[in-house]
Amino acid sequence: MLQGKQEPRQITMNLERLPNEEKLSLCRKYYLGGFAFLPFLWLVNVVWFFREAFVKPAYTEQLQIKTYVKRSALGLLLWVAVLTTWITIFQHFRAEWGEVGDYLSFTIPLGIP
Amino acid sequence: MVQVCVGGNSVEKKIYVHLNYTVPCVRLLNATHQIGCQSSLSGNVGVLHVLESEDNLDWVLKSGPNPPYLVILESPLFTRSIMMKLKNGSRRVAGVVVVAPNANPLEAFSPHTTCPNENSGVYSEDYDPALAHCNVTVWNPFGNGLAYEEFDFPIFSLKDDNDTHVIRQCYMEHNRAVNGSTPQYPLCAMQLYSHMSAVTNTATCMRRNDIDFSISPEMVCDPLGDYNVWASTRPINNTAKGHKMWESVVIAAARLDSRSFFFDIAPGADSGVSGFVTLLAAAHALRNATQEAPPNRTILYAFFQGETFDYIGSSRMVYDMQNNQFAVDLDNVHSVLEIGQVGLHTESKLWLHSDPVSRKNSSVLFQVRKLIENLQSAAGGLNISMDEPSVSQPLPPSSFQRFLRARPIPGVVLEDHQSAFSNRFYESMYDNAEYLNISYPPNMTPEEQLEFVTDTAKALTEVATMVAKALYMQAGGSEPQLSSIKADAQIVTRLLYGFLVRSNNSWFQQLIPSDLMSHLGKPTNFYVGVTQQSSEPTLLVQHLLANLTGSTVNITQENCQNQREDENDKENKHVGWHTQREGFCIRSTVRLSKALSPAFDMREYTSKDYSTWTESRWKSIKGRIFLVASHDLEVNPSPHRVKDNICKADLTHLPSCNGLKGE
Repeated sequence: MLQGKQEPRQITMNLERLPNEEKLSLCRKYYLGGFAFLPFLWLVNVVWFFREAFVKPAYTEQLQIKTYVKRSALGLLLWVAVLTTWITIFQHFRAEWGEVGDYLSFTIPLGIP
Repeated sequence: MVQVCVGGNSVEKKIYVHLNYTVPCVRLLNATHQIGCQSSLSGNVGVLHVLESEDNLDWVLKSGPNPPYLVILESPLFTRSIMMKLKNGSRRVAGVVVVAPNANPLEAFSPHTTCPNENSGVYSEDYDPALAHCNVTVWNPFGNGLAYEEFDFPIFSLKDDNDTHVIRQCYMEHNRAVNGSTPQYPLCAMQLYSHMSAVTNTATCMRRNDIDFSISPEMVCDPLGDYNVWASTRPINNTAKGHKMWESVVIAAARLDSRSFFFDIAPGADSGVSGFVTLLAAAHALRNATQEAPPNRTILYAFFQGETFDYIGSSRMVYDMQNNQFAVDLDNVHSVLEIGQVGLHTESKLWLHSDPVSRKNSSVLFQVRKLIENLQSAAGGLNISMDEPSVSQPLPPSSFQRFLRARPIPGVVLEDHQSAFSNRFYESMYDNAEYLNISYPPNMTPEEQLEFVTDTAKALTEVATMVAKALYMQAGGSEPQLSSIKADAQIVTRLLYGFLVRSNNSWFQQLIPSDLMSHLGKPTNFYVGVTQQSSEPTLLVQHLLANLTGSTVNITQENCQNQREDENDKENKHVGWHTQREGFCIRSTVRLSKALSPAFDMREYTSKDYSTWTESRWKSIKGRIFLVASHDLEVNPSPHRVKDNICKADLTHLPSCNGLKGE
């Protein structure tokens, strides 16, 4: 396709063409961004940089990238655990909680408790 | 794979036959329970099965190969034992359809409980534990309590007409197991929609009504209620509420409403109509006497709505009286005479019930004795004999009990039964004109029927005359006037015809203003309904009472509607003005007072003292029948075969099948 230094912006980012420092900075941005209650950024981080971190042959920045990916995975697991627990509890006990359950709900089903 | 598009209307008409007349059972909620029926949001589908006997239930509940079944019950099979078994097997039961017969059954049937309004009357553990919970007399022994059970499938009622016959034929042809063979697909099926929005209890549904922050706030239930109708023989200032000095009032009470298992069907002939028609006739009989020679005390005629559901109307009136929100208060009340169920008096015998606990007080006992004496002497010369039941028997369920809950007031309840109800169809759809023996000779036009005086009307006229005379004496009226007090049998028979046979008749049409004419329907429905919609009986009784107790005034329609005598009249007189049709205006003291349970005003939705009944809202109520194909066809559908089968069945009289006959 297009060759040359200045490439037009593409819809999907192709990590192959990025220099390693930029890869590291991107990984860091996503890692830090996930702390703002955005676990999907961590999911993206893990999926996207998995290859870079663990499959590719070693390069200088790879150690840092590996750390970020591992920590993102940890954070993601934590979020998944918390959300799954809360959703299970809420779905099961909402009807029994009566008033509290109703005030926590955004839409209340009609005709069933 | 051929795909059948069911969304198109013409295809839908070829598949489904919609049921025209469907009467569902709906969900009602109170402080602690929900009662009634519920279907799933997309309707309950079940294979039709006409139940032949109670043993046949085995097919539905255990052995039938095509669950879930939609059971069709003929009315003799609509009993508690069958319904409870169906309720327990509800995974295999998709719904129940009850075929309403054209004539009343022979056995008693009452879907109400055996002890009506047991927790909202005066007899509680505090008042007298020996009399609470119907320990002494079970008032409604035939009650099977079906109307107060909760079912998680829909229950509809169909009339026994041609459509129902088609349904039975469909079953006979397709679904019936002959000689032990399993019925083959396609089978006749029915789908019933009656999804109710409210759940659990009143507190929950009222809370969900009020929630602000959801995306689409939806009302899920409404409180039951309507208006009480009241009038007085002497104008009482209604703008000044609370205690009125020197005013002593005798309350003559009757109840307006009734119910049945199904929604919006409540003929209430003996349980409601007999009582308030008698009171209307008595009020009419007293019109002249109270205007020419007014007695010392004022007589207040009160017609309560919502009494079936824990005394909504009377509890509200007592609450208003206690909180100075009504024209008089409880100190002004001298005594109460209530007309209960009086339509079935066998051997013309009536019973005077009074409360044994308040009678222990000597002054109350004295007043009760005087009232009973007045009633007995009023019956002299009439074809009625009256008696008191045994001294220790409590009051039957009656609005007077709510007055007693507030304070011990002397009062008597007039009934046609000594202990248990003589009404074998209490609060059911069979408590109708036929049960009261209101029958007309054949080949009469509606106009002739309106004027024909039936025997029931004659009997109730006697009761009305007696009540009128007794009220006059109780209010301190003078003796000479008594002989002129007579109820008019013509009025009574017209009232009975209008309320029990046909409300769209010439007499009612004269009384109702033209803009409210459309409300008149076939047999009047006495279900109290939700507060937003004022019910037909309240409207009719209001205008009838005005016509029967008021006087005509010669003023223009505009002045009449603006409640004034002429352009110069700015005073707010203590009377109301009613426009009636044909341009004449009636001046009377008839008023409406709100009959909404105080629990809703005070927002105490778990109240034990007041009625907390609400009715759920719903989106659509309908039913349809169709042939359902086997599950293999769903994978490899062949629409032509299914269409052929529908038209080959006895549904061929459908117009949509005519085009297919040639195929």
